[in-house]
Amino acid sequence: MSDSSSIDAAPAADDSRHAFDAELLRRAGAGDQSALGELYDRWVRPLHALACNVLRDPAESEDVLHDVFVTLWQKAADFDASRGHAFSWAATLTRNRAIDRLRSRARRAELLAQAAPADLGYDETNTPADGGDTTWLKEKASAVRQALSSLPADQRDALQLAYFGGLTQQEIAGKLSQPLGTVKARIRRGLLKLRDLVAPQL
Amino acid sequence: MIDERHEELAALHAFDLLEGAELAAFESALAADPELRALVASLRATTAGLAFSAPAVPPPSPALRARILNSAVPVPAADSPAYVLPFAPPPWLGWAAAACFFFAAVFFAGKSFNVRGQLQFALEAERVARLEAGTVKNLLEAERLLSRAQLDRLASSERLVADLRREAGVANLKIASLKSLAGNSPEARAIAVWSPDRQEGVLVVSNLPALDLDKDYQLWVIDPQYPIPVDGGVFTVDAATGEARVNFKPGKAVATAQVFAVSLERKGGVPKAEGPMMLISN
Repeated sequence: MSDSSSIDAAPAADDSRHAFDAELLRRAGAGDQSALGELYDRWVRPLHALACNVLRDPAESEDVLHDVFVTLWQKAADFDASRGHAFSWAATLTRNRAIDRLRSRARRAELLAQAAPADLGYDETNTPADGGDTTWLKEKASAVRQALSSLPADQRDALQLAYFGGLTQQEIAGKLSQPLGTVKARIRRGLLKLRDLVAPQL
Repeated sequence: MIDERHEELAALHAFDLLEGAELAAFESALAADPELRALVASLRATTAGLAFSAPAVPPPSPALRARILNSAVPVPAADSPAYVLPFAPPPWLGWAAAACFFFAAVFFAGKSFNVRGQLQFALEAERVARLEAGTVKNLLEAERLLSRAQLDRLASSERLVADLRREAGVANLKIASLKSLAGNSPEARAIAVWSPDRQEGVLVVSNLPALDLDKDYQLWVIDPQYPIPVDGGVFTVDAATGEARVNFKPGKAVATAQVFAVSLERKGGVPKAEGPMMLISN
């Protein structure tokens, strides 16, 4: 996928991987199209899965990915590695664009009907397909899923609806049939626990 | 030391779940507290990590990569092609937004003069502000069509009143204000702007009651040539504000949009109004 000027091998260690991502982003910001191609190859699987889980529509998810990568290309020079990892930036951008698109459908009630924690839940057997550079993705997915599985189910449901559902606080409370205060507390407790569990591995 | 309340707000902020005054207050606190900023940064990194928990899906089409790389072309500094709007809003939308703004102001100003006492006046002014806020969305879209100078004049000068009236007339638009006659939604207001030429309209509503999950609001256009009102489509409102902005296009050709009405119907709408009438134009 990459041309001869690209970096030859992705470092295995997380720090090196993040630094490599940041370097690719820097090169993309300088106009190196092959660097954008490499970023695409590295990130497309998790970002596509993220967009699909928000939108439930593969075609729309591809439109979102197109938008995200073109935005990364245009804004790469603005990336500040001191404020977070490049992949986190891309994931946040993807989620925001997917949710924007979901909301622009102007069918909030339909959205409410679609979003269900059970549908959004992880499935340990549902791992990325083999092929390409997926080892790191499997490791990350496994770490996050294990951490999620260690949370109480009510906290896990609240976090997954909050992340993938594109719902407001009130809508999440309605969906879970819980008072708003309860849902807020579950999100707080769940996210703090999840941070403590996965932060070293992200 | 960060208290539980701020931890909670930080967690909600990390999911972009804060809105309005709650968001503004939290961002103020965030600006003043480095410890809180560090907490938010760590929680945001964690939420981004949730992307990895998404169940795997089939990969995107192989053409996507090429499509993206084809789009990632530096724009030449000179001889760049003319800018093309990514979409083409209806040409009357700018005037619709302007007329909507004007008529909303006139409507509520007129009402406020007729009510007794300062309290009632203040309530009306608040309603005007709410509807004007709704029309900001239209104005933002109209910005593509109207020049900046025009918008500045629109926002600041009454000199445009006559211009707007003439321009609305030139555009052959029908402007109608809707309110509750049945008393079931006394605070609700709406403005409908209808283009007979394009057979399309825009409806801006505020303060309609939040909907149950099995309900929708349905817009009707009453045209004397039909025995029953023409279906203008269903819509929902923001649960917190009761606001919505709806572009509508009735299923039948409308010769004379005499009256606009909004009813509360079962989810998905009905061919003939069954539920209570929430708003109707005069």
